[in-house]
Amino acid sequence: MDDRRRAILEEIPRLRRYSRALLRDRDRADDLVQDCLERALAHLDNWRTGESPRKWLFTIMHHIFVDQMRKDKRRGESAMLPLDGFEAMAVPAEQTEDAGSREVLQALQTISPERRAAILMVSVEGFSYAEASTILGVPAGTLMSRIARGREDLRALLDDGARRRAIRVVDR
Amino acid sequence: MSARDFSDRDIHLALDAELPEDERALYQSWLGANPDVKARAARYADDLALVRNAVAGIADEPVPPRLAAIVTGEGRPAQPAAGNAWWRQAAAAAIIFVVGGAAGYFAGAGSLEDAAAPADRLADSAIGAYVTYAVDKSHVVEVEGNDRDYLQNWLSKRTGLKLVVPDLSAQGFELLGGRILPAGHAAAALLVYKDPNGNQVSIYLTPEPKTKAKGTYAQGDGGPTAIYWLDEGFGCAIVSSAPKDVLDAVAGNAWRQLKAGLAS
Repeated sequence: MDDRRRAILEEIPRLRRYSRALLRDRDRADDLVQDCLERALAHLDNWRTGESPRKWLFTIMHHIFVDQMRKDKRRGESAMLPLDGFEAMAVPAEQTEDAGSREVLQALQTISPERRAAILMVSVEGFSYAEASTILGVPAGTLMSRIARGREDLRALLDDGARRRAIRVVDR
Repeated sequence: MSARDFSDRDIHLALDAELPEDERALYQSWLGANPDVKARAARYADDLALVRNAVAGIADEPVPPRLAAIVTGEGRPAQPAAGNAWWRQAAAAAIIFVVGGAAGYFAGAGSLEDAAAPADRLADSAIGAYVTYAVDKSHVVEVEGNDRDYLQNWLSKRTGLKLVVPDLSAQGFELLGGRILPAGHAAAALLVYKDPNGNQVSIYLTPEPKTKAKGTYAQGDGGPTAIYWLDEGFGCAIVSSAPKDVLDAVAGNAWRQLKAGLAS
């Protein structure tokens, strides 16, 4: 195996983490990583060697993700299931999650895909604003506004969840 | 109060380590002077810690062989996945059967990840459902099989398919019951059967658009074999470690009944 392939292999855990946070479902997330890797391997010459393939791979994966979101939208499918549907179908693969993790991951899914991607790129994957702007293909100002709004969305969603739990307790 | 006016924007710059070094002290004093802003900044930081914590373990998971194989070039040749990845197909209907021996083959399930074609993944999901539910003797089903009509209506309603619960008594299989499972965007139905020899059959039903495929899927020595179809808005995969003639008979019988029901 050559050095380029080895360097790509080392990025898979990060790609999986980002993809899972983005899509929640393990199989869909790994499918996205798979599409990304297949496209990357088919265009290996596009990667400027000498630097880490990380940004290049995340850029490829983001393009595929955006295409996917667009298709879902055109078909009239939401990226989410209705809440009652979701609760009725607890995800077996994620049974090891604690309640807090489950809640925050579910809240992330409710945020628009653009804002979700921006938050995860910067806050989880540790890309700088400059790097994330390049990967996501948006100006720095747009990136910042997505991050700010996404965090506000997340805060409101988590507050809302806490409120509903409080109401349930009172109901009992 | 400072060389420049701070705003909410700076909260995010600070959280993301994008605030210039020489402004950090001033930012801190701005926070000190504005308790509500400070509280908001702390709250964002807490939320981000929750997100990081929730996904932290994922990067430590072993890389699935099917993903590593793409990069190393081992295993199957890379396919153009763009047009037909499984997660793009969650709209119409698919049926998967699982027939398996009661003996656990959980240890071998990891090798299934080598297979990545949509139909293979269909069979993979079905085996996963079987392994997770059918081998759990105490909670195999949510709804018992003794009320067949109720079960049929319930599963049909949840999956949006005209599902007929096949009668497999000709092959000696008795219906234990069924349950609903997640399947990407859709709901999947699982029906479980058993025969007097301890073999089990699970039927897994989930929405799937028009993909056409047919084939068998073997898990290796002593492992189960899958027979599957994807057709006209639904698909069917039958997995069993039972003898091939039993599998063939069960698959053929169940497929005929389901096909007739869906077409009615």
